[in-house]
Amino acid sequence: MGENKSDVLQGTLDLMVLKTLESMGPLHGYGIARRIEQVSDDALTLNQGTIYPALLRLEQRGWIKSEWGTSESNRRAKFYSLSRIGRKQIEKETEDWERIAATMARFLAPSN
Amino acid sequence: MDLLRILLSRCAALFRRKELDAELDEELQSHIDFAFEENVARGLSEEEARRAALVRFGGVTQTREAYRVRRGMPFLEQMVRDVRFGLRQLRRSSGFAVTAILTLALGLGANTAVFSLINALMLRPLPVPHAEELAVLRIDRSDQKAPSYFFCGPVFRALEKRHEAFQDSAAFADFTLQVRSGSGIAVIPGALVSGEFFHALQTQPLLGRVLTPMDDQPGGGGTGFGVVISEGFWRSWFNSAPDVVGRKLTIANSPFTVVGVMPKRFIGADATERPEIYAPLWAEPVIHAPFNMTAAGYRISWLRVVARRAPGVSLEQANAALRAASNPILDESVPDATWVKAQRSRHFQFAAEPGTEGYSDLRSAFKKPLIAVFSMCGAMLLLACLNLASLLMARAAARERELATRLAMGATRGRLIRQLMMESLLIAVLGTAAGLAVAPLVSRSLAALLVGRSRFTTLDTSLDLRVYLFAVLIAALATVLVGLIPALRATSGNLNEQIKNGSHAASAQERKRWLPRVLLGLEVALALMLVVGAGLLGTSLSRLYHTGLGFEPKGVINLDLDMKHQPLDGEALVRWYQAFGDALGHQPRVKSVSFASVIPLSGGWWDGDFHTPLSHGDREIYMNAVAPAYFQTMRIPIAGGRDFQWSDTRTSSPKIILSRSAAKTLFSGQNAIGQQVMGEEKKIYEVIGVVGDTQYASIKEAAPAEAYLPITQDDSKKPSYAAVVRMEGSAVPLAAAARALAARMAPEIQPPVMTTISDNLDASIKSERMMALLAAFFAGCALLVTAIGLYGTLAYATARRTSEIGIRMALGARRAQVVGMVFRENAWIAVVGSLAGLGAALLASRMLASFLYGTSARDPWVMAASVGALAVIASAASLVPAVRAARVEPMTALRTE
Repeated sequence: MGENKSDVLQGTLDLMVLKTLESMGPLHGYGIARRIEQVSDDALTLNQGTIYPALLRLEQRGWIKSEWGTSESNRRAKFYSLSRIGRKQIEKETEDWERIAATMARFLAPSN
Repeated sequence: MDLLRILLSRCAALFRRKELDAELDEELQSHIDFAFEENVARGLSEEEARRAALVRFGGVTQTREAYRVRRGMPFLEQMVRDVRFGLRQLRRSSGFAVTAILTLALGLGANTAVFSLINALMLRPLPVPHAEELAVLRIDRSDQKAPSYFFCGPVFRALEKRHEAFQDSAAFADFTLQVRSGSGIAVIPGALVSGEFFHALQTQPLLGRVLTPMDDQPGGGGTGFGVVISEGFWRSWFNSAPDVVGRKLTIANSPFTVVGVMPKRFIGADATERPEIYAPLWAEPVIHAPFNMTAAGYRISWLRVVARRAPGVSLEQANAALRAASNPILDESVPDATWVKAQRSRHFQFAAEPGTEGYSDLRSAFKKPLIAVFSMCGAMLLLACLNLASLLMARAAARERELATRLAMGATRGRLIRQLMMESLLIAVLGTAAGLAVAPLVSRSLAALLVGRSRFTTLDTSLDLRVYLFAVLIAALATVLVGLIPALRATSGNLNEQIKNGSHAASAQERKRWLPRVLLGLEVALALMLVVGAGLLGTSLSRLYHTGLGFEPKGVINLDLDMKHQPLDGEALVRWYQAFGDALGHQPRVKSVSFASVIPLSGGWWDGDFHTPLSHGDREIYMNAVAPAYFQTMRIPIAGGRDFQWSDTRTSSPKIILSRSAAKTLFSGQNAIGQQVMGEEKKIYEVIGVVGDTQYASIKEAAPAEAYLPITQDDSKKPSYAAVVRMEGSAVPLAAAARALAARMAPEIQPPVMTTISDNLDASIKSERMMALLAAFFAGCALLVTAIGLYGTLAYATARRTSEIGIRMALGARRAQVVGMVFRENAWIAVVGSLAGLGAALLASRMLASFLYGTSARDPWVMAASVGALAVIASAASLVPAVRAARVEPMTALRTE
């Protein structure tokens, strides 16, 4: 159960997944991965596989739900959607992330 | 909240692993398919589209693994795997597993059993609220080594009135009560208790009310004496009648009224007794008639006292208050000024000690033996652990190559240790379970050995939380001891070298084998200590049994008669005894019959002061009242003079028969027969005979000076004697005949109780017997376990040296040389271990000195025999692998490599 050094990235990934589900509604794993790549303008080329442990983690926390369904191309897939707790959590996670980003920005700003 | 939810979902996942795995596979497959479709749509060839999809995904296997780790409980799953693997390993070497589990079960079971005895006797608090506030009161006197826990009536009554230190003080005395039932008289264990007894123990009755100071009055409360009964007695005697309060019981021919029923958990103030009827202290003259200890006042100490400290009073403060009250209470309660002065000159003082566990006579009697036995158990357990550790280590050494391979393939050292620990944990768990399963049985039989088959004393050895905690603690300790050392050893060291070396006995490994040797040496030393202990205790016990008793106990049975509650007395009662004796004498196979007031070694005693002009003042002499033919029946030789006769009645002059020692004490070796002896109250007796010395109160003391008075001249009230019958063959028909005779000749008395002197003898040395039996048992086990250890480790070690031995033999070593080489390895372990053990035994045996009779704690014969026994066992255990090693065919051994 140990967390590893990609924790920060995982946290980021979590928020990306949540935001994706918030804006797109229920979506399967591949869809989420593609959406994240598109939004980041393919600047973030993640191993798409890493999205699944992240999805499991969010589901274990009860932030998202999953359900088997059928895609537009008539393919069976597992669809993920935000839960009520997840919706509330986005706000908090966003704040946390902004605080970290702001702090980092201050560090990285050229010192006069 | 989150954590809990995650944990739950992970637990749930444990049970649906396969299903979830399939689901994950399907999900990942659909992912790849989506990607593939999109790639094809972008115009890639099928081949390229599939490759790109997989590349983009990153390893499927890694994802699956990461997903699984997050999903379930990898730690738990790994543990389950380890358990399965461990079980498989144990099954594969079932001989080893059975030995290991049995030895551990033995060690743990014995420890738990003895601990549960110690728990019952010394640790378990009385089942009353706030038991820690209770104190046990005692009397210290400068002329007595041990304090007295018995108080006389008047002193207790004065103490009871004071409430500075204690809110309640309660006296109690256990009594057997004769309760009349429809069909006759039943003997029921009971207790006499003072007024504040129930209040001090703060237990509410199940029905009715408890006894109060209002009941504990001369003559009882307004309506006679009330009694409180136990729940068990209520159920069995009154059939759980709801209207039991107010019903009558006839105890010792007097009416008593039931006023309340106590719940089952209430056992009074002595954890080793289970009174079923509680009567007020003032009822003693009624219940105990014709005796009357209440009237005897300060001359008889018979009450045990527990007290509850007042709120906010510490034990120290209570003690100080008691000390200060000692002299005033003496002055106030005892009218005899000379007696009070004598007590004061001996620094008579009350004291209080912690009384959480209540008071029990058994505790002081068995505390030391139990602790000695407990140490033996501890040694046994340590031995079992050492044995297992060395066996496991030898086994691990044989598995070095497997472990090294696994280390090389990436298993971490911690992982391997965990797995090896799991094996020892399994052994420990199975061993503990087996040990715990037999522990209650063992402790019950030990308790029976200690307490005997008495209805009136119990040792409640049931396993409670304390015992379980203890068992878990020692099991954990044993596991660590057994498993950790071998596991650490096996996984340390340079693994490359181990792989290279294979099963050659390399010099580096040779050097690190000192640890198993030390363990085995310790084992030998411990075993020797146990054997020496058993030898000493056994020798002492057999000397006790072979002490000359002065009489022949074999073939003698006793029938205890209780004549207190029948109408005859005086001359008429003597005639009754004579008639009863004659009737018994006519039974088949009875050779002679007599009566005695004190049966030797029964624990009863009676003494008196006598003097003669030659005796230099009063001499304390043990007494017995006997009927004619006593000496003949007991086979005590009559050295001179004559026996008593039924015609030596009260109207004739008082007669006495002396033992040789008594005659020597009173007459300085001159002829005693026909001389006069002055007894208490200036009574003058004529010596009519001198008989051989016999053991009296305890076999542990030398035969004392003893005097016999005839029962025909006994002027005590309604005296009860035991019939002493010498007979051939089984006593069973006589028991029935005696019951029938008694019922016909004295319908008012209870059926006579049959005992034998051999029983008394066993009972009088029961703690010695228990210790010797247990010590012998442990010593036997220790020898066996040590033999297994020596054999097992040597067998493993030799198996690893097969090729070396093959080479040696190929180069010309003779078989005898090989036997010698292998044998030597254990021989010096045994020698060094024995020397260390002998030294330790010499030091430790002093602990046993107080349990030894007529045996020195350093008895050279016992020491020599113990070393001899160990040497024989060790040689036998070592010779087998040595001989087997010498049978190695050089060619086969070399080829196996």
